[in-house]
Amino acid sequence: MDNGRACVSVIDDDALVLRSLDRLLQSRGFEVHTYSSPQAFLEQHDADTPGCILMDLSMPGLSGLELQQALARAADRRPVVFISGRSSVEASVRAMKAGAVDFLTKPFDEADLVAAVQAALEKDRASREGFAERASINFRLATLTPRERDVLSRVVAGKLNKQIAAELGTAEKTVKVHRARMMRKMQFDSLAELVRAWTVTQPPPPAPPQA
Amino acid sequence: MDSHPASSAGASPGLTHPGWRFGPATTWAAPALLVAVGYYFAARVGFAFTLQPYPISTLWPPNALLLAALLLAPTRAWWWLLASVLPAHLLVELQSGVPVAMVLGWYASNCSEALIGAGLARAFVAWPLRLDSLRSAGIFLFCGALVGPVVSSFLDAALVSLVGFGERGYWDLVATRIFSNTLAALTVAPLILTLASIEIPRLRAARTARYAEAAALFVGLAVTCLMVFNLPQFDNHTEPALFYAPLPFLVWGALRFGPAGTASAIAVLVVATIFGTVNGLGPFAGSTPQETVREMQLFLTAVAVPMLLLAVVLDERARVELDAREQRLQLTHLSRVAMLGELSGGIAHELNQPLTAILSNAQAALHLIGNKSAHPDILMEILRDIIAADQRAGEVIRRLRTLFKRGETQFQPLDANELVHEVLGIVHGDLVTRSVEVVSELAAALPKIHGDRVELEQVMLNLVVNACEAMGGGVAPEQRRLTVRTRAVEDGAVQISFSDCGPGFTPEQYARLFEPFYTTKPRGLGLGLSISRAIIRTHHGRLWGSSVPGKGASFHIVLPALAAPGR
Repeated sequence: MDNGRACVSVIDDDALVLRSLDRLLQSRGFEVHTYSSPQAFLEQHDADTPGCILMDLSMPGLSGLELQQALARAADRRPVVFISGRSSVEASVRAMKAGAVDFLTKPFDEADLVAAVQAALEKDRASREGFAERASINFRLATLTPRERDVLSRVVAGKLNKQIAAELGTAEKTVKVHRARMMRKMQFDSLAELVRAWTVTQPPPPAPPQA
Repeated sequence: MDSHPASSAGASPGLTHPGWRFGPATTWAAPALLVAVGYYFAARVGFAFTLQPYPISTLWPPNALLLAALLLAPTRAWWWLLASVLPAHLLVELQSGVPVAMVLGWYASNCSEALIGAGLARAFVAWPLRLDSLRSAGIFLFCGALVGPVVSSFLDAALVSLVGFGERGYWDLVATRIFSNTLAALTVAPLILTLASIEIPRLRAARTARYAEAAALFVGLAVTCLMVFNLPQFDNHTEPALFYAPLPFLVWGALRFGPAGTASAIAVLVVATIFGTVNGLGPFAGSTPQETVREMQLFLTAVAVPMLLLAVVLDERARVELDAREQRLQLTHLSRVAMLGELSGGIAHELNQPLTAILSNAQAALHLIGNKSAHPDILMEILRDIIAADQRAGEVIRRLRTLFKRGETQFQPLDANELVHEVLGIVHGDLVTRSVEVVSELAAALPKIHGDRVELEQVMLNLVVNACEAMGGGVAPEQRRLTVRTRAVEDGAVQISFSDCGPGFTPEQYARLFEPFYTTKPRGLGLGLSISRAIIRTHHGRLWGSSVPGKGASFHIVLPALAAPGR
């Protein structure tokens, strides 16, 4: 199983349940960290470690939903899988609206648990990779001169060099020079790559609806 | 001597068998034969109780036996019974050398007495008549012991005059017969009626101590009666006091053995008294034999009527109390089950936790063994956790089963703190899902209290659930707090308090809080607090509430320490 350093943070106030989940996930090859309360998790966890959270919805003190909100405030988009001893429709709807990956009712099937945890880890990986790619493209964008940016925005809009020259009030030859320099700085060989990178960085992807 | 009334009474259980319906003559053969045999022996007893040398019968039981048989039988069966006693009547009367016309006349008057009494009683009370209420006892006394003997005695005396048998005057005959037949109706008929309604299984289930008590009562009564009524009297000044000697035994019978016991005790008293009197013993000494007999009959009648009524009233009251008690138990149980229904979500949570732990542990162990990476130490740990989780689930079920059970109230010494722990254990899941934090301030070394574990837990559960629901809507989850306190108060009593931080209640609301069917909850029945207060009252304790509106409410239970409540 290729999870890299990704780790499943299991939070449950019930020591027996916590230990059993720890063992089960470890036996299935996951890296597991256990916390006995949401507070303990908030205090101890490393936001940079990739992974997901598996937690009981109802715990004394900070509840599962409240932890979910606290993570959202901290811009930690770590995916959450909820488990609950009682299947309250209301609670599960709220959890899913707030971006929970899955909602399992105790006692759950092992296959469902593993599938939910894998989906959550995959979501985390994807969002972290996307974040890294955006960061690198933004970094390269920052090296462009204003004139090169003007050219870029028109190139990705599908305009021809002649049209760009007319719009910028310059010679087509000059546009060609700017365009070549821009492509070199952005480290792209093809127009297609440039367009894809541009769309990734452009308007921030629409956020999932918040509860 | 008293083997005769016993044998006639023996006829009764067959008569009241629930399957006894009017049908082919064979169905009636056995009961009719029993009544006939009973009638015969009752008549023999009547003859035996005739004052010698003057032929004055003191007690004439056959008519009373017939009366009881009619009262127990359906109306359709009456003719069978009346017909069946004719041979017995002829057999016993013709032996005594009475003219045939007189024998037939007495058959008519005897039957008329039973028919008048039973027919009149049936107009008021449905079949079968049981001496189980003041009303039916009153109807029996009026119809069977008064109207029947009185009316039939006029007929009887008229027949005697008509036949021209004997030399006694009409009114003398009427009076003599009324007294002896009324006394017989009071003695024999209640005995048969009450013995017939005894439930055999209950008799079998009775403890040995109860049989011993009954034996003591009847032996004591018999000895007392023999000493008072069957010894020659020397000192006339002590006589009036002597009449009261059997009373304690009769009261004992009424208090402890109901109408059947009282009827039996009266029968013993009557038989012993008459036996003494007809043999010239005992305190009854009129100037003529007639007067002596009359005195004795009046005395026995005056004792029998109030004692029978007392026994019936006590029995009726005990039954009403038992019914009320049974209803209270049912209501208490119902409201407990309803409350557990409300808690089912939390209870499911409490069961799901150990189930999840067991399942995940077992699956982990399977994988570890499958991967060949199972270290015995880890497997041991897993198995230990599985055992612990299983025990926890078992504990949840044990608590539930205790509360679901519908049982008699059982008082025992209890530890208030332990009860609180138990209750908080039951609602733990609910408290967690409602984000209610529990603060326990339990005093150490509390005196033991005396009570029924299940009922007291029910009261505490009710108060905890109320507190949680009060904090449900308006209180932010992080502020929901339930405080449970126990402490010893004056006189060794123990106080248990539950405080929430909900909206509380106004004095106007409090005035109605303990009323049945008053509720502030959208789905509540409004029975919880009224039942809780009733429970605490049977524990001789107090349950009350206090509130600062807007800040929260507290409910307090005070239970006396180990003061055995009267039950």
